Amino acid sequence: MPTITIFKDDLESLLTGDRDAGRDVSIAQLEEWLMLVKGELKGHNPETGELRVELQDSNRPDLWCCEGIARQIRIKGQGQLKPYAFFAKKPESPHHLIVKPGMEQVRPYVAACTAIGYRVTQKGLAQLIQTQEKLADIFGRKRKTVSIGIYQLRNITFPVTYELVKADDVRFTPLGMETTMTLSEILMVHPKGLEYGSILADKSLLPILRDAKDQPLSFPPIINSREIGEVRVGDEELFVEVTGTDLPMVMLSLNIFAANLADRGATIDPVEIHYPTDTMLGKRVQTPQDFGKSKTIRLKAIEQALGQELGETVVKQALEAYGYGVSAEKGSIKAKLPPYRHDLMHTMDIVEDVAMSRGYAEFTPVMPAQFTVGGLSAIEQLSDRSRELMVGLGFQEIISNILGSPDHYSRHMRLEGTEWGQMVEVDNVMSLSFSCLRQWMLPSLLRIEAASSRAFYPHRLFEAGDVAIPDGTHELGSRTETVLGALIAHATTHFSEIHSSLDVLFYYLGKEYSLEPIQHPSFLEGRAGRILVSGKPVGVIGEVHPEVLERWQIAMPIVAFDVNLSQLAAL
Amino acid sequence: MDIVAVIDSLHPLEIKVLTTLGARPPGTALDSEQLAAAAELDSSQLSMAVEWLLAKSLIAVQTETVTPIVSLTKIGEEYYQTASPLERVLAAAREATGTGKRLTIPDLQGQGGLDPSDVSKAVGRLKKEGAVLIIQGGCIETTGRPSPTTEILRTLLQQIHESSKELRSFTETHRQVIEDFAVKRGNAKEPFRVDERVSRSFILSTDGGGAAEQLLKQGMAEEVSQLAPDLLKDGSWRQKRFRKYTISLRPPRIGIGKKHPYREFLDTVKAKLVSMGFQEMRGALVETEFWDMDALFMPQFHPARDIHDVYFVKKPSHATAVDEPFLSHVAKVHENGAETGSTGWGYSFDVHRAKRLVLRSQGTAVSARTLAASPDIPGKYFSIARVFRYDQIDATHATDFFQVEGIVLGEDINFRTLLGLLNLFAREVAQAKEVKFLPAYFPFTEPSVELHVRHPRLGWMELGGAGLFRSEVTLPLGVTVPVIAWGLGLDRMAMVALGIHDIRELFTDNLELIRTTRGLF
Repeated sequence: MPTITIFKDDLESLLTGDRDAGRDVSIAQLEEWLMLVKGELKGHNPETGELRVELQDSNRPDLWCCEGIARQIRIKGQGQLKPYAFFAKKPESPHHLIVKPGMEQVRPYVAACTAIGYRVTQKGLAQLIQTQEKLADIFGRKRKTVSIGIYQLRNITFPVTYELVKADDVRFTPLGMETTMTLSEILMVHPKGLEYGSILADKSLLPILRDAKDQPLSFPPIINSREIGEVRVGDEELFVEVTGTDLPMVMLSLNIFAANLADRGATIDPVEIHYPTDTMLGKRVQTPQDFGKSKTIRLKAIEQALGQELGETVVKQALEAYGYGVSAEKGSIKAKLPPYRHDLMHTMDIVEDVAMSRGYAEFTPVMPAQFTVGGLSAIEQLSDRSRELMVGLGFQEIISNILGSPDHYSRHMRLEGTEWGQMVEVDNVMSLSFSCLRQWMLPSLLRIEAASSRAFYPHRLFEAGDVAIPDGTHELGSRTETVLGALIAHATTHFSEIHSSLDVLFYYLGKEYSLEPIQHPSFLEGRAGRILVSGKPVGVIGEVHPEVLERWQIAMPIVAFDVNLSQLAAL
Repeated sequence: MDIVAVIDSLHPLEIKVLTTLGARPPGTALDSEQLAAAAELDSSQLSMAVEWLLAKSLIAVQTETVTPIVSLTKIGEEYYQTASPLERVLAAAREATGTGKRLTIPDLQGQGGLDPSDVSKAVGRLKKEGAVLIIQGGCIETTGRPSPTTEILRTLLQQIHESSKELRSFTETHRQVIEDFAVKRGNAKEPFRVDERVSRSFILSTDGGGAAEQLLKQGMAEEVSQLAPDLLKDGSWRQKRFRKYTISLRPPRIGIGKKHPYREFLDTVKAKLVSMGFQEMRGALVETEFWDMDALFMPQFHPARDIHDVYFVKKPSHATAVDEPFLSHVAKVHENGAETGSTGWGYSFDVHRAKRLVLRSQGTAVSARTLAASPDIPGKYFSIARVFRYDQIDATHATDFFQVEGIVLGEDINFRTLLGLLNLFAREVAQAKEVKFLPAYFPFTEPSVELHVRHPRLGWMELGGAGLFRSEVTLPLGVTVPVIAWGLGLDRMAMVALGIHDIRELFTDNLELIRTTRGLF
């Protein structure tokens, strides 16, 4: 979900397709239009005209830029997309790019085009760079699958070659540096080399784009040459290339860039890519190219999914007004995405575009009519009954995080190295305070005690909630069970006080129980018991061990019980 | 002054004091001790009663005398039990002189329990009185002459140890010694303390006299404070007067049993959902990536599946198994769409990765499990599931929190019934009459909707997200009817209902806060 910065006047001029005849769009109107692109206005600076827009759809990289947003809105207004001529295959390409053998081991694919006639402005340049970054970062998985370079065309002599070289055989001045560096120096020293070098970590040979005069254009996906690969305000002739590991993604990224530059007034000319072997698009691939295929969906399927009869004409209009190429016959809709999109995985994706193009407000909500019986799970019912009883017994309910620290759940409880001290632990720990799941409830209750010595006494606390108990026999390695824990804290509390509460609780839950003395490190010996129902253990009760209280820095005697409701429910 | 009202407001202790004074000739003044003895009160009861009566101007202070009282400090007790520094220095000097040893001030200072200032003070005093001499080389010798101060001090320690005494009961000479050795500002290390005891005598004021007269006259239906069972048994309450209480005072505080306000809020949501025909689902805190993400058609390279977004389990790191045929079905759908009509994601699905254990990162995992467990059709399900996110904690981010989510299955499910269901949620859960449906994106639904509602107190807010599950989700799990997936974001509503501004306070450890928070649901 990228968030991008665009400028209102830039968007307005792109909306009309005329750079000088922008119209003033109200923010309310803009927010409504943003629904067409699943966009949300996050911020607006009326003085600079800066807009912050969050784009939700992670499958629509064409919308992560001012041009794409404007295009989608523009098409809706115009009823259909004005086709971009450069996507159609031409007999001859003015420029050629040769891919040398061996690239398939490193970064196999490349796509490129030239853009002439758009004079780069300050804001336009910022947008170009932002689009380049968002595409490479989010869509291109941090440049791993896709990265993009933009160059001054006039410095390049064609054909360009894309090939592998040894790390120390080539040197050039990278962007952001003053002197020439070898590729291995770039990887070791340049900030971008350090940031993205891991993509090439295990490669003995490295990719390079060079022109016919052997001038390096760039070291993809790391950095461009400073001489050729630095675009400045005022430049009018550009060369754009995309390299990567996934051909459709590489092609799509270039198509998006080509459409964006065309929308800003550039004339796009294709580059022909010569691969050493066959690709899914052939051995010679002209780029940009409309490589998408159409999908056919029955009109009935659309209507059924939307719950509304629309008819062929309405569906066709809706899809066209969203940029699709559509033909309809015999109850079937043949729909083709525009060349800058490649997100049709399923016919349902077309259905959503119909709904968005028409606007969600066009659909009248209908209540689902089928009858169903509501209810709570057995364990939730038992948990709720126990909670009611605990409240009646004068206990205050609390609620805690489940993710906590081994200090709280085990060490402070004197449970280290015991069977009670086993916990589900996190592997990728961010903070020790949140590195394991609670395996019982008492530490959650003591957490409150430790922080609340100034709250007036007596304290009677309980919590009913989930815990995770490690269990090697379970396929998930642990069982999630619902546990009820309760404690009493005041100066003269003792075992029989908590025992009375337990006794009343179990009486009303209809469970006969008995207590059996137990040695449990968290409780005082001789004042702790295992709670048995039908001879099976369902919990513990006792006076909390003074050393436990010391470790929690609690200066008040505490008695407590911990009952496993999941196990109790099964008896 | 309304004498009757005054009398009604009197506490039994006050009545005792008033009647004690009133029974004596007018103008009689009694001091505290006399009053306590005559009214049969202990000194704390008396001082309470006297303060109340003074505040009501029913008695007045006739005389006030200040008496200095001498008592022993802790150090004084020590001196009494062992010896004063004067005694110790003198004894040491005598011993040295007797045995011919040299005794210097530093020698004395080395003796246990004597600190340097005690030593120099003692030596100074003894030298002044001529009991010791300082000879060449700083040696101390006794002269054989007595030290009156040392002896007086011993006498005083003895006398005052028995009981505190009035300062003026001592002779002039003794008083001088007491003052020399009494605790003063800046010198707490002394054996004596002189405190001032204030002794007051009291007389009835005019109003007090009237009240006392009235009280003595009404002679005496006995006043009681409590209606005791005995009084009811023998009917003797009829002969009693019941003291009137000051009922405008704040009552004492009691601790009560109560639900946690946030759980109370969740309980109301739970009840609403059940009333709308939803069945509760439960799930595990630890889940496989398969059910948490793969089954929801999130590709294994999805950015939200990164090590920085999800908590992975350390041991065991992987589940022993993921149920078939779901694992193979889902794997195929990811790779090429299988029979779902989808293209799939076009990558090679990693079965081992699917078994990786994570802390459940989205409630929808519970719904995915339900889809695979032959759910009712038609069916409505919900869960209030704890989920874990790899987030830095701040006012709006918690590491674990509740998600309210669920599914609706049925032949009649479509985009419009989805909107209908969201309308119902808006009305029932947020009491909102106005709603907006915005296009949204979730990896597992298409079409997807965001529900915005106008909450009666909060204004426009996002209440939840929903959509129709993609066929890539439902078909591999064996469900062939359309399914709505929905989730509600209720924490903001809860926080407003509970009057808090920081999400961490939902799980606060502050008992006082939990006890005093009232939910306005």
